[in-house]
Amino acid sequence: MPKVLSNGDELDVDLTEPEIKQIKDLLERAPTITEWGMFDVMHSEHCSYKSSRPKLKLFEDAEKNYDYVLAGPGQDAGVIDIGDGFALAFRIESHNHPSAIEPYHGAATGIGGIIRDILCMGVRPIALLDPLRFGPLKGNPHSQWLFKYVVKGIADYGNCTGIPTIGGEVEFDKSFESNCLVNVACIGLGTIEDFEHAPSKAYNPGDYVILMGGSTGRDGIHGVTFASRTLTEMSEADRPAVQIGDPFTKKMIIEATLEAVKTGYVRGLKDLGGGGLSCALSELTGDGGTGGDIDMSKIFTREPGMNSFEVMLSESQERMAFIVKPEGLETILDVFRKFEMAHAVIGRTDDSKVLKVKDGDYLVVNLPATALSDAPTIPREEKRPEYLDELIAQQTPEPIKGLEEIIYDLIASENICSKEWVYRQYDHEVGVRSVVKCGEGDSGVLRIIGTNKFLAASVGINSKHCYLNPYEGAKGGLVEICGNVIANGAKPMAMVNCCNFGNPEIPESFWYFSNAVKGMADFCKQLRIPIIGGNVSFYNEDEVSKTAIKPAPVIMIVGIIEGKEKIITLPFKKTGDDILLIGETKAELGGSEYHSVIYDLEGGTSPHLDEKKIKATWDFLFELYKKNLVKANHDVNKGGLMITIAEMCFKNNLGAELDFNGCYNDNLRDDEFLFSESVGRFIIETPPKDYNKIMEIAKHLNVNVKKVGNLIANPEIYIKGLKGKNIKLDVNKMKKLHEATIPSLMEI
Amino acid sequence: MTIKIAVIQFPGSNCDLDTLHVLNNVISNGIEAELIWHNHFKEAQFDGVVLPGGFSFGDYLRSGIIAAHSPALDEARIMLKGGKPIIGICNGFQILAEAQFLPGALLRNDSLKFICKWVNIRVENNKTAFTSKMNIGDVLAIPIAHGEGRYYTDNLKELEENNQIVFRYSTENGELTEQANPNGSLESIAGVCNLEQNCLGLMPHPERASEPILSPKQTMHGRLFFESMVEFIKGRVS
Repeated sequence: MPKVLSNGDELDVDLTEPEIKQIKDLLERAPTITEWGMFDVMHSEHCSYKSSRPKLKLFEDAEKNYDYVLAGPGQDAGVIDIGDGFALAFRIESHNHPSAIEPYHGAATGIGGIIRDILCMGVRPIALLDPLRFGPLKGNPHSQWLFKYVVKGIADYGNCTGIPTIGGEVEFDKSFESNCLVNVACIGLGTIEDFEHAPSKAYNPGDYVILMGGSTGRDGIHGVTFASRTLTEMSEADRPAVQIGDPFTKKMIIEATLEAVKTGYVRGLKDLGGGGLSCALSELTGDGGTGGDIDMSKIFTREPGMNSFEVMLSESQERMAFIVKPEGLETILDVFRKFEMAHAVIGRTDDSKVLKVKDGDYLVVNLPATALSDAPTIPREEKRPEYLDELIAQQTPEPIKGLEEIIYDLIASENICSKEWVYRQYDHEVGVRSVVKCGEGDSGVLRIIGTNKFLAASVGINSKHCYLNPYEGAKGGLVEICGNVIANGAKPMAMVNCCNFGNPEIPESFWYFSNAVKGMADFCKQLRIPIIGGNVSFYNEDEVSKTAIKPAPVIMIVGIIEGKEKIITLPFKKTGDDILLIGETKAELGGSEYHSVIYDLEGGTSPHLDEKKIKATWDFLFELYKKNLVKANHDVNKGGLMITIAEMCFKNNLGAELDFNGCYNDNLRDDEFLFSESVGRFIIETPPKDYNKIMEIAKHLNVNVKKVGNLIANPEIYIKGLKGKNIKLDVNKMKKLHEATIPSLMEI
Repeated sequence: MTIKIAVIQFPGSNCDLDTLHVLNNVISNGIEAELIWHNHFKEAQFDGVVLPGGFSFGDYLRSGIIAAHSPALDEARIMLKGGKPIIGICNGFQILAEAQFLPGALLRNDSLKFICKWVNIRVENNKTAFTSKMNIGDVLAIPIAHGEGRYYTDNLKELEENNQIVFRYSTENGELTEQANPNGSLESIAGVCNLEQNCLGLMPHPERASEPILSPKQTMHGRLFFESMVEFIKGRVS
């Protein structure tokens, strides 16, 4: 690691030698130690996206190409216009490294950070979703510890701030054992006017710069550079780089900020996250084309004696920077006084295009405002891993046990079993908006009070599929997450993503990233889904074992349902109704739960998709919705279609008589048909009288639809029409297995 | 007549806007509810008060203890003596217990975890300011969301004799079972009132159970609390 010197002070930096030279050339002098620290942070992978930026250019310009997109990538959150004068903001990001070291505070401050990102768009945060990844729980106390405290961190923070956690995803896989993934997503709702009041820039010289919220302390210094390295055994010593959250102060910041924005006197707004004041002040002035004159003595600190380096780089939580119109200063300060929030006017903007920070008589920072954000990009090599061919060539063994037993094993497996243990700990109802609650649908559905609209949101990815084929896997993830909101009756409106990958300096790891990005970009362009934001987390690689996580380009989709009567839920409803399978099942067991749970295999052929067929399937479902023909819907994913059908039986304690004769291709084996995870499939419940009408629509749109059976009152599933013998499943037994797994592992 | 209800906003209240929404947009019926910042509250301007759920002052020391010392509670004490109705929901209940408006204490759930779920409660007393629209033995569907809701008192006998137990957690059929008691509350107690029956505290959230679209079985039992309050206030005035 290079060292830099300034006035006798010495600093280890993560900058490369060319970067160091470039900085010196730009300034035509040696930077101060504080400036070196700021460059180090702002040029870190975490802040500058220096490895990922060239690839992220593949995402088309959402603001230009979709008229309802108000803010696209590069801003604190993506924002869309949903009509009736309302704007929705949403974003997802990672808090992986801190959570791996200190799960409780790491996860809690992850929530804190994503809430601030939404808040600084001027809108009220109304929902949280958390995709989480850990090593397997069974026989693994370390994974259990991480899982328990990450969930508790999210619960304690989210519950206290009064923002419901309405969804998420948990995946357990060996590759996440020493690098757990904690991704956090937040959705905000406000009027278009609220959004317009809060740009993240200081574009007017002469405005006041106010810091509001928590005090600046020594916690979290250099948190982002820590997040831009791989975890090592030494990382335990990095615990001080993890910030401590204070959800109560955050709740007060939310209320005080929203009230301040409503006054109309706020001209710019930015949260202090990674990079602290360095990042916030340089981005506000740099993006706004202004400069700033900041008096460090005005910044309230948690402890005396903090030097300018510490103040500028602190990542203490719960702080917001406001750019305020001069005539509104007193009004804004009164709002902060009412909420008893600490605040200080720390300086003013000017037209110098230079960011200056004074510490008494010393000018400790004197940088062109844009210098910090102009980090160079680094082209990375990419190479397809050599082990892939062998992995993909793996064959499914002959079943070693009966199909019934396999299905019971799958329904109880860690990745498929019920996650009720998690969501019971989250307040998922505060806000009186939650219409489809956790466990009742593929996505979380919230009403938008004052309109007849509902929003549906879902997050996730299948990392096992991405491991075998990142391009198809990322596309498949989009199909599934869009499928989740579509299953609830929503039209997907926009996407944000959180790319979790290994070390970008390793060509094989970068190849995964590059292909996943290409997959997302290609799919979204074809299906017309704007990508309005993203976050990249590299270096999820274990130094000791030299292994990277399975690639996890986590996707979040927000959709809109037009009217209460258009909401569809997951549970089967009525005895006698038809059960239809939509979409084609192929021999795609690569990366399936069946392979992993039953044979401990990771390879095989993973799902491939055809965008035209996906589009036709979605059009078909919306056509049925328009005619009110669908009574229940659930997308088919992990574990295959029997798991989907069983989950739909649970809530109302129903059973099914299934006949798969003619439902699948002759060259498919029974286990391939039952457990394949081919993407873009749904199981729907429909009234028998509408069968002909539905099949006509299917024929017209060229969609593969098969009636697979009917619902019965007796909670058992009878299956005939397989190549092998008939089977029978006990719904109550499956339900018990489904519910028992996590409590039995976590509550010993 | 216009019925003026104050919804007190403590720093950290987070069900304040939800309660306001239900009072003004769902119940309405002559109600004019207003959000009042805790140290701006003046009791004389209002006919009744709601202490909403949330995490007042972060609940860092002990749930409700700091808010119990807010000037709002001094005002509320005057109200209480004057016979006006006061309801504390969730954190509001914890505050009323800490301020000794109500007997007993709320301890950590026996699971040691926060629990968010729909439960059933059985009506034990329909003579209070908030339960007149209910019948004894009625079972209400209503959600809970708390980490410290395990009711405890040293004076169970007194409470029973004075008819201060207003709700108990029960099954859908009104049976009291261990399984139906979500947090380990003593005698399944979910809500209690004062001797004069004008002050009620309960852990479940009536404001989340007042609209069919939010309820698993399309019920709206939460409205009964607020409708009873309106009736009580009208009865006092006439």
